Amino acid sequence: MAFSTAESTALFLNQATFGATMDDINALTGTSPSEWILAEFNKAPSLNLPYVLAEISEPGARDMTGQLTFEKRQTPTFSFWINAIDGDDQLRQRMAYALSQILVISHAEGNFLFELPNTVAHYQDILVTNAFGNYRDLLEEVTYSPAMGEYLTYLQNIKGDPASGRMPDENYAREVMQLFSIGLVELEQDGDVVTQNGVPVEIYDNTDVTGLAKVFTGLSLKGGEFWFDFRTLPPDALHSPMEVYPEWHSDLEKSFLGTTIPAGTGPAESIDMALDALVDHPNTAPFLARQLIQRFVTSHPEPDYIQRVAIAFADGQYVLPNGTSVGDGRRGDLSATIAAVLMDPDARDAANRNDDSFGKIREPVLRFIHWARAFDAGTVTPELTFPLWNTSFGGGLAQAPYKSPSVFNFYRPGYVAPGTETGAAGLTMPELQLVNANSVSNYANFMTYFVFAFAANNTGQPEATSFIPNYADELALADDPTALIDHLDLLLAYGRTTTETKATITTFIEDIPLDNPSDPNYNGPFLRVALAVLMVMTSPDYTVQR
Amino acid sequence: MKQTRRTFLTGASALSAATLTGLGSSLAAFQASAAETSGYKALVCLFFLGGLDGHDTVLPYDQASYDRYATIRAPLLSLYDNMQGGSTRARDRLLPLNPSNASNFGTRQFALPEELSGIKALFDAGNAAIVGNVGPLIQPLTRTEFLNDSAPQPKRLFSHNDQQSTWMSSQPEGAQFGWGGRFADAALAAGANSNSPDFTTITSLGNELFLTGSQARPYQVGLNGAPEIDALNFFEGNRNTPEGEAIYQKLRDHFETMDFTSTNLIDRDVSNAMRTALTTNETFNQAFESIQPFATAFPSSFLGQQLQAVANTIAIRDALLINRQVFFVAIGGFDTHSNQANDLPSLQTEIDAGVVAFYQAMQEIGLASDVTLFTASDFGRTLAINGDGTDHGWGSHHFVIGDAVQGGQIYGDLPPFDLDHDQDAGSGRLIPTTSVEQFAEPLGRWFGLNDSEIAAALPNLGNFSAGPSFV
Repeated sequence: MAFSTAESTALFLNQATFGATMDDINALTGTSPSEWILAEFNKAPSLNLPYVLAEISEPGARDMTGQLTFEKRQTPTFSFWINAIDGDDQLRQRMAYALSQILVISHAEGNFLFELPNTVAHYQDILVTNAFGNYRDLLEEVTYSPAMGEYLTYLQNIKGDPASGRMPDENYAREVMQLFSIGLVELEQDGDVVTQNGVPVEIYDNTDVTGLAKVFTGLSLKGGEFWFDFRTLPPDALHSPMEVYPEWHSDLEKSFLGTTIPAGTGPAESIDMALDALVDHPNTAPFLARQLIQRFVTSHPEPDYIQRVAIAFADGQYVLPNGTSVGDGRRGDLSATIAAVLMDPDARDAANRNDDSFGKIREPVLRFIHWARAFDAGTVTPELTFPLWNTSFGGGLAQAPYKSPSVFNFYRPGYVAPGTETGAAGLTMPELQLVNANSVSNYANFMTYFVFAFAANNTGQPEATSFIPNYADELALADDPTALIDHLDLLLAYGRTTTETKATITTFIEDIPLDNPSDPNYNGPFLRVALAVLMVMTSPDYTVQR
Repeated sequence: MKQTRRTFLTGASALSAATLTGLGSSLAAFQASAAETSGYKALVCLFFLGGLDGHDTVLPYDQASYDRYATIRAPLLSLYDNMQGGSTRARDRLLPLNPSNASNFGTRQFALPEELSGIKALFDAGNAAIVGNVGPLIQPLTRTEFLNDSAPQPKRLFSHNDQQSTWMSSQPEGAQFGWGGRFADAALAAGANSNSPDFTTITSLGNELFLTGSQARPYQVGLNGAPEIDALNFFEGNRNTPEGEAIYQKLRDHFETMDFTSTNLIDRDVSNAMRTALTTNETFNQAFESIQPFATAFPSSFLGQQLQAVANTIAIRDALLINRQVFFVAIGGFDTHSNQANDLPSLQTEIDAGVVAFYQAMQEIGLASDVTLFTASDFGRTLAINGDGTDHGWGSHHFVIGDAVQGGQIYGDLPPFDLDHDQDAGSGRLIPTTSVEQFAEPLGRWFGLNDSEIAAALPNLGNFSAGPSFV
């Protein structure tokens, strides 16, 4: 059971937060995980918009043409790192990040959203504030967000024109079904695909898409002008919900998925009815349950596990092990859903570690944040640390928060990796989409830069204080490699590192001299610690969480 | 039923391991007729992620067709009119095509936008062809059959990820092998590439389904060779003493996960990836040292850089001991639901500059006849406009480029630039008239595959009559 031993505490924290710290492991072992979850639900959210608004209002934030500087356009990324590493509301931040991989927007450079950091931060905060709310409410806030309106191109989407054949933009209608609520094929409550004559049953065709597309017409930025002028917008229009403009909304009948919205229904009511139909659809519970389990616990969950989480979503309620019921009983309750994901026997039962298909690859972004948390990485000033501006590029992590190449995220929940053992077994393995000869080497090098505190070597530069690890606990063990590796195994890998991997690392570390009389700058203890951290964090034992 | 070679081989996979013991010698007998693997040949797939609008790439040119097109696309064309420098879609600015098979199209004429002037020049010179209305099909499909759902059709039409997957593998998401990987497998089985699958399929992006076969696995290349592991390099300088060498090897063993064992499949996949990364990257970098810079200047665009990485890899083929390769490069941004007049022309400019530079680079090293580039995309788009963009379609028009191509022609069909015709699935989403597998077949034959290998790579091909033979 979680929190019964230091190892079980560490595993739980790696599933539920951005990574275990020694302080948390020590403080929580022997306490109640139910109480921990309840406390997390009540923590004040760490937000992004206040930071971003302050940053982009600073003198010098804009160049002579009024354009935000490249650095200031990155501010939503900075606030993400800061909150993920230092935020006290860890479960909320982690849930928001999981949701950001389902309800995807991207401000990768080149997207128009890159120019609008406050719009992106507003969206991040929708996910943060609704992380333990209701999915129906969340989906509504997402639908009205200027970020999603821009990203899936229905901001200023106008009703069709039968005379010219002009149709409403179908982008959001298609993806809100396929990616944000029901998927493509009929599902049992345990996530199994319903088939007919061996063929998966598709739940809609293009007429449903064109029907639903009429719903998402007549939305534009706040301010009263559908065809607004950027120069005369209200100052908060780009980080406020979009408004409805009935004259641009389709007044035709809107039919999709067996729902018919009568002709003449206005935009707000049409959106309400459409989102009700999507969230009430039987698919939505298992569709989201499966993906949330994938984000926190295991990549190919058992049907029973999916069903238990889907029931919590559908009932809006979940009873914690200490008997406390969470959720308000309304379908779509996310506090009940995430509690069901984390407290489920499949997530908690140590025997699952021995199941050959259980577990998940820790995302590269999670691995980096875990390092920063585990070693209390000094001043968290990502604005001074260029490699963190976009970690999906070049020698980075092959992944970056809120910078997906498309609405399909960096990896797909249904990805079955070709040419692999998990693929041959038919296991969905999303994060394996990022693993190849290039990325494993780049990840090792990215971590090397931080683990060895290379930024500190630029003495006198402001970045020399950014992300500098505190290895005090580890340096105290530098003369005892076995104890050092055991400590790192608990802190980073909740005690799952194999005997063989431990032996490899230990015998290597033993060979690193503690001092070198001929070189006064030589720091043997630091070298031992940094190499040990790097080796644990580049081992398959650490990379796969199970 | 007559036991053809194909049914024999398909059946073999269902046999027990015991039965298979004698199969090696039987298969050896087939070697004579296996894939042809002499010399060097490479296929390059250039994928337009998001769904390239074929209607806005190969345009109508004869006055009647253009006028009808301009009426349907009036909202979009007026946005083109507002672009700085005026509309590149105005009829008098289009670059009319003069295909050698123009008579196939009667009075209908076609044109490319000026953003594609380089590809137009290749077409005129006979080194590029257009294949019209290509898309996934299971069997030939009429409009009535589509509307009534009365004949088999591809799964999950109009869905990005599923149609990308279907283009690459004939199956929606979850597929395990792409036809590029199958082509490579066939070449490998026939003894290509010194019997090593390494570097047979190459991507400039990620883990591409298209390039994955049962033997072939995509290897990712960048412009400057493969990444090395910095931490290991710290210890490189110590290798001149036995102690230093021992330390280096221990760290190397760690990064190769030499001591790691597990029965967990995820552990095993991760460990396997780490184990092969180091050595394949080193092998690539050793070969990369022999690279001679191209005189051809590649554009600095993302696509230009990817194609330069491909050209570099082709240039070191002898050092890598490779003579059959399949490449995959891709750029995104084609999901033009909005802002098409602003976004698509610059993408087309990027395509044109990249492709022309790549063709010239292949000429420079004398391989223009041995490297064939073709384009692909999730799907085409609606002919109808949604305001300032277009929505997901199906069939689209594609290019094939290289000196082996019988160019200067438009293969297949270009349906009317109109609505409600026989290939209209609704709003000008084209029901394909050439299936992806028909499009792939001549590429596979040129690559060296025989009948049974083609049939294994392209499972639905037998449902179609002979397709276009453009290479």
